[in-house]
Amino acid sequence: MTMRIRALARSLVLDPLRVIRRNKMGFAGFLVLSFILLLSIVGPLFIPLDTKTKIDQIYNPPSWKHILGTDSQGRDIFSQIVHGGKDVLLVAFLSSAISSMIAVTFGSLSAFLGGRFDSLIMTVTDIMLTIPHFPLLSVLAAFVKFTSPVMLAVLLGLLAWPGFLRALRAQVLSLKERDYVQAARVLDLGLGHIIFREIMPNMMAYIAIAFILGMTGAVYSQVGLIMLGLVPFSGHNWGVMINLAWTRGAIFYSGSMSYILAPIAMIALFQWSMVAFTRSLEEVFNPRLRMGQ
Amino acid sequence: MQATATKTAPILSTRDLWLEYSNRRGTVKAVRGITIDLYRGESLALIGESGSGKTTLGLSLIRLLPGSGRVRSGSILYEPDGRTQDILSMSEEAMRRFRWQEIAMVFQSALNAFNPVLRIWDQIYDTVKAHDGMSKQEARKRGLELLKMLQLDPERVIRSYPHELSGGMRQRVLIAVSLLLNPKILILDEPTTALDILTQRNIIDLLRKIKTELDLSMVFISHDLSLAAELADRVATMYAGSVVEIGPVNDMFYRPRHPYTVGLIKAVPTVTGDYRELFSIPGSPPDLVDLPSGCKFHERCDRATKRCHEEEPELVPVGDGHYVRCFSAT
Amino acid sequence: MARQMREIIWRTIRAISTSVLFTRLAKGVMTVFVVMTLTFFIIRLMPSNPIEIYINQLVSQYGMSFQEAKNMAASLFSIDMDAPLYVQYFSYLGNLFRGDLGKSFLSQGTPVSSMIAQFLPWTLFSVGVSLLISFSLGIFLGMTMAYRRGGILDNSLSTFASFVSSIPNYLVGILFLVFLGVRWKIVPIMAMRGSTSPGIQPGFTITFVKDVFFHATMPILTYVTTAIGGWMLTMKNSTVSALGEDYVTVAKARGLRERTITVSYVGRNAILPLFTSLAISIGFIIGGSPLIESIFVYKGIGWVLWSSISTRDYPVMQGVFLVITISVVMANILADLLYSKLDPRIKAGQG
Repeated sequence: MTMRIRALARSLVLDPLRVIRRNKMGFAGFLVLSFILLLSIVGPLFIPLDTKTKIDQIYNPPSWKHILGTDSQGRDIFSQIVHGGKDVLLVAFLSSAISSMIAVTFGSLSAFLGGRFDSLIMTVTDIMLTIPHFPLLSVLAAFVKFTSPVMLAVLLGLLAWPGFLRALRAQVLSLKERDYVQAARVLDLGLGHIIFREIMPNMMAYIAIAFILGMTGAVYSQVGLIMLGLVPFSGHNWGVMINLAWTRGAIFYSGSMSYILAPIAMIALFQWSMVAFTRSLEEVFNPRLRMGQ
Repeated sequence: MQATATKTAPILSTRDLWLEYSNRRGTVKAVRGITIDLYRGESLALIGESGSGKTTLGLSLIRLLPGSGRVRSGSILYEPDGRTQDILSMSEEAMRRFRWQEIAMVFQSALNAFNPVLRIWDQIYDTVKAHDGMSKQEARKRGLELLKMLQLDPERVIRSYPHELSGGMRQRVLIAVSLLLNPKILILDEPTTALDILTQRNIIDLLRKIKTELDLSMVFISHDLSLAAELADRVATMYAGSVVEIGPVNDMFYRPRHPYTVGLIKAVPTVTGDYRELFSIPGSPPDLVDLPSGCKFHERCDRATKRCHEEEPELVPVGDGHYVRCFSAT
Repeated sequence: MARQMREIIWRTIRAISTSVLFTRLAKGVMTVFVVMTLTFFIIRLMPSNPIEIYINQLVSQYGMSFQEAKNMAASLFSIDMDAPLYVQYFSYLGNLFRGDLGKSFLSQGTPVSSMIAQFLPWTLFSVGVSLLISFSLGIFLGMTMAYRRGGILDNSLSTFASFVSSIPNYLVGILFLVFLGVRWKIVPIMAMRGSTSPGIQPGFTITFVKDVFFHATMPILTYVTTAIGGWMLTMKNSTVSALGEDYVTVAKARGLRERTITVSYVGRNAILPLFTSLAISIGFIIGGSPLIESIFVYKGIGWVLWSSISTRDYPVMQGVFLVITISVVMANILADLLYSKLDPRIKAGQG
């Protein structure tokens, strides 16, 4: 029993870790991503948010007390960075989860059922894919009052699936022709069995990578909307920090550079680390890639 | 070293040629000290399993070794008209002009031999332009002529994109294009693999026609001995990067001396189709990174003795122009 | 005879309806139609229906009577508010086809269509130039990387490309503004605002062209910096795989010149996969124009969309969104046609 657990642990944790380390850029992405997750999820438990306005400390440059300086109200920027990631991560994760669910369900159904259902889904997908995403979101933001990050995540998720769906459908179509899937169909094991037992395990790599890339897309849209002031979030959020720094003209004060640069750096690092990490994931899931080059 | 099988002088010869390339495991010794002559007007077949070094040897004749491939030592001499040129010491530009003009090569994967986004005519004209000496009209006339010779509908084919042609048609187009500049030597690397049996037949017939009608020297590279029987004047069997037996086609078929050649002949189904069971040589070709000691074939040979384990035999004459690299054959 | 005629007509119809151009056009028209319908129902049926909000605003702020306010709103939206919904819908569609997109709330009386005519060209110009630069430069760099793969140049360019292609373009825009414009004062960002300098005479004069490029510099720089990474990486990968193709080996054996092989054998085939991402890239860049244009106050259609949303100028918002969609659809069709021109295999109906 313990042998099996150990073997399982090796195949699930140790082997992937070893492969992750093989791709330098992917490993760097993995480290940065872990750091950001740790900082945003565990950090708030240890570092209290500075909310007190201190008129005498406006736009102070970095010092030992405030390692990233202070903002337009004399508050510590570092604590805002620590607390500002949670919502960004939440929206990204939730939105990508929703769009992935839609893409996986309808993409595989479309590939399997074919015929009218397939062409209907593909037409809808193509249309949704062509409508420019960000303008649509901004127009909708004029009508829908986004009061919570969850609401925003749901809307982002409901609009972000078309690209993923197309790619997934193509993958399923090619998997469908493989022998073991054909065998399962001949044995009449049921659509659910075929999709979830035969197809999905072979698609996990693909789904995981698309999921992470979906998160980067959600970060782009959400921070963009917040930056333009179209989603009036209050509270602490890297996007809100950029928006405040922007509207309050922080870019013109020399002491305030870190107020705008810190959240930009966090978002940039977050986006880059996710994209870089997918490189390693490709190798974890695709042994053929591991062998070559 | 070799007595001339035909009366003419060699047009292309390799002298103690060693070729190797590197992969992750080490140095692959693909060709080990091959000395072989191609005589003017003859066709020579190189026969062997995959990994015997025959394709590497073929590519080296026009200096097109892939990626990490290199010549360790030896020379390749081209003597078309008394003058001798060493192919390995030609400049890049001279080499470029040399290719296809003097030696053309028909590759095995003809399905993918043509640029998918250019029409056949564009690729014919490309070739001509790269070597000048022919006008556009002449090139077109020559192209149509050759396509017709290869039993294609010339006007239609010349206007087609590669994907509009079948595999057999593409192979015939490639053969036609290979004759475009009147090369003196034609190398054919597995020209019929990947084609169905009827198309194979058709290509073989066309190649025989070319062989009789044109003044060409040919090198056939194949794993298929029956193809060699139909097309070649002389046959060389290759194993683990060296020639183990070479001789006139009849000697090789009726009086094979090397156990490997014997095995290859037994592996060919007879045309009469009797019930003799198809024979296959036990074991697999040796690892070219880590070669066995002595005779490279001893691990698969039923005649192997202690001497075969320790010492690699020389190529020695056993008949008129017939040489073999085996202790038991002499 | 009649039967033959019918046969011929049918065959022609079938040939047209399966052609690349026709299917692309049909899909494009459908997309535009969906967007038209979507904006109509958003504006009419949302809980906080903008027409009612506007009427209430007129009543409370300007002391108009309800009927006056309603007539005013109806004339701005080009909608007869008392007719049944479906009648309104069809007259709305009719108006759109006549090019009547309603009038702006703010600058009252200005037709939305003339606003679009004024602002759209700048977006198309800056996005078009950026695509041209990033696409061609990306192809060149990507091929260079592939030919020298594993070297210092390849490694440093790959790192650069993976960075810039993953960071949101508007953040790069802000960084440019902060460093080039404010910190180091290399670029006169204040003078660059707007799409042209005030008082300049439009025309094909050198001064005018220079001025147009001057104002578009920052948006173009931002678009190019962020878009080029993707092109470089895709081009590198497809060049590497093209280099391994048999037809490249055969081309070498045919003694073709290195330049011919690089350009029409490796290059032409390696570019093909990039055209499939071209359509997506165009949509993404035009879609992101509200962000970039508002950062640099570059007065194109994206800037108008942003300002109309923040001032709740619904007719403008609706019209601009429609026009942005139409631009993306047209760009998509163009990219597809270009692709099918370059890849002869598409015409055979495999696309």
